[in-house]
Amino acid sequence: MQLTIEKTGLVKALGHVASVVERRTTIPILSNVRLDAKDGELSLTATDLDMEIIETVPCQVKTPGMTTVPAHMIHDIVRKLPDGTEIELALDGEENRLGISCGPAQFFLQTLSAEDFPSLSVEDLTHRFTLSAKDLKRLIEKTRFAISTEETRYYLNGIYLHSLTKDGAEVLRAVATDGHRLAQIELPAPSGATDMPGVIIPRKAVADLLRLTEDGDEEIALELSETKIRATANKTVLTSKLIDGTFPDYERVIPQGNDKQLEVDAIAFAKAVDRVSTLSSDKGRAVKLAMEGNKLTLSVHNPDSGSATEELPVDYDGDALEIGFNARYLLDITDQLESGTAEFLLADPGSPTVARDSGDAAVLYVLMPMRV
Amino acid sequence: MADSMSSSGMSSSGMSLSGAPATASRKIIHVDMDAFYASVEQRDNPELKGRPVAVGRGAARGVVAAASYEARVFGVRSAMPSTTALRKCPELIFVKPRFEVYRAISQEIRAIFARYTPLIEPLSLDEAYLDVTENLQGLPTATGTAKAIRAEILKATGLTASAGISYNKFLAKLASDQNKPNGQFVIKPGMGAAFVANLPVGKFHGIGPVTAAKMNRLGIVTGADLAHVPVAQLVQHFGKAGRWYSTIARGEDDRRVNADRIRKSSGCERTYLEDLTALPAIDEALAKLADEVWGWCEKTNIYGRTVTVKVKYADFQQVTRAQSAAQPVASREELYRLSCLLVRRAPLGEKGIRLLGVTVSGFPEQEAEHPDGQLDLLAEA
Repeated sequence: MQLTIEKTGLVKALGHVASVVERRTTIPILSNVRLDAKDGELSLTATDLDMEIIETVPCQVKTPGMTTVPAHMIHDIVRKLPDGTEIELALDGEENRLGISCGPAQFFLQTLSAEDFPSLSVEDLTHRFTLSAKDLKRLIEKTRFAISTEETRYYLNGIYLHSLTKDGAEVLRAVATDGHRLAQIELPAPSGATDMPGVIIPRKAVADLLRLTEDGDEEIALELSETKIRATANKTVLTSKLIDGTFPDYERVIPQGNDKQLEVDAIAFAKAVDRVSTLSSDKGRAVKLAMEGNKLTLSVHNPDSGSATEELPVDYDGDALEIGFNARYLLDITDQLESGTAEFLLADPGSPTVARDSGDAAVLYVLMPMRV
Repeated sequence: MADSMSSSGMSSSGMSLSGAPATASRKIIHVDMDAFYASVEQRDNPELKGRPVAVGRGAARGVVAAASYEARVFGVRSAMPSTTALRKCPELIFVKPRFEVYRAISQEIRAIFARYTPLIEPLSLDEAYLDVTENLQGLPTATGTAKAIRAEILKATGLTASAGISYNKFLAKLASDQNKPNGQFVIKPGMGAAFVANLPVGKFHGIGPVTAAKMNRLGIVTGADLAHVPVAQLVQHFGKAGRWYSTIARGEDDRRVNADRIRKSSGCERTYLEDLTALPAIDEALAKLADEVWGWCEKTNIYGRTVTVKVKYADFQQVTRAQSAAQPVASREELYRLSCLLVRRAPLGEKGIRLLGVTVSGFPEQEAEHPDGQLDLLAEA
């Protein structure tokens, strides 16, 4: 294998694939990236056995060939080479090492045989549809903050993507929840997605999918089966196992009858929540919302450090109500609002509260209160 | 069984914020649902009515969690290995437990209790002590209150309950067994000592078969016999518990109905008639203990992450070995496996083992999974 390649493209691709590679792994070859040069392209593959990412970068191939080298190592080397330069990669088959040269700088990296590199077996991907990068990004961004990190409820460690019929229309819906809050967004289902199985995309794959949407591609093709998902952009193919579990019947926890409506300027609200929560302790980040008439009073009382209150003008149509929320969770939601007005639908201090972006009917958040 | 249970007590402690003073004459009701899980299954599936039903797994390593009265006629009891149960009653129908249903009904029943008194001490899903001295309905007698509560339970759930009414918890619990199922029994003030006097000591809640056998050897057969033995002598024979035995032998018990009772651990231990020496026998004994403890975990839906194994040797020396995991123990098999692992960390082989115990503690409530009061959205999903 021998080729020359531009630094810019190579370092970017290495950065992407290296993100999949675990820093500590017990199987040596999983630390490596597979390099495969042929047909004027270098393709780079990395895997952690749950996920696989393949990037292709154009290059001048003198001799086609394949090898594997430590992913983080080659990434660090290439990153430090001068910008705008050409890099030569050459495999010394007898010595089992890969030469990297760029001007006066020369490196040799130990290789492991490409034949031993594991590939993620992919059975038939039964469903295929295309999303604009913008839509996929939105599906992920609006929900990923609510993904659980709690390993006991492993089936919550991802985004639940599924299709359903709502008011006679087919929609593609993404849901994430950690048991304290829930985030949901839906889009009109693209053709091919209507009869897809509901799948739980693991957190790690979600992060890489999001990155994929930021690569300048217009469209991303998604293919999936009950066990795998594959996303294909122009230069990248990302394949991941799905979480093998049953996502809870989340629709049951979305309240339908909350009749107390609160509308508040999202930015002013977020800033006030952030201010008063300065006083909250690490353990209890509870902020109390007291609403009466067209006044909302935010307050935090921390026996260790003091107390804070702030009043905000709001539109509120219900009876006086006091309810506590985790300040972080409130801010996570306000971070996602785009229209500038947050809408809360409340029932009582012990029941789930619905939050919406008043300019965006596609998103919905449910937030469970705290006892205050 | 070659061994016998010395104490299968679920230790508990906690503070009471709302307990009423125990000194004045109290009116205590012990409400006990009749064959609760099995009755729920028979209620929901008419085909099971009138037939011997066991709730639990019928598999080789399964255990009966509850038996219907039809099954009890054959000698099927809760905590009995399923294989034994099937031998006793080949017609026995095993039904998978539906704890979420039992929990929901239990909530319903507790809501009924709450209409009569705030002083409720649940012992499990199907059993509770109520202090109805000052009942919210203003009913004049505890007997009438118990009747009203049982009628409401029947009306709301279609299930029968039995009740024991007396002036302390010990007697109320004894009384609820008297007219089971679907009955109630009163031990009136002043009658406790007389009631207890004729009772074999083995019937006392808190006196297990081993203690009962030891009492019998000492010539103590009934409550009256027990009441005649000086406290000092009981303490000499039975340690601290001797004081308690002496108290209940007179039908006394000043424990309050504790509405804030918090269980801190669940454990089970057994004293063996013959000392255990071989590992297979030790593992087998642990399997039984783990089964019982696990049965409690399933019954209450409370799972702990710390497992403690207690070993008492023939010379009464005692060691414990404990281990805490990041997550609560998830299955009977895991509890058993951990118990076997822990017992091997104790010195084995030199001395015979007279007692083994397995305890699970470190329950999430105490560790406050959400110390901040964050409520769970998915509790019901």
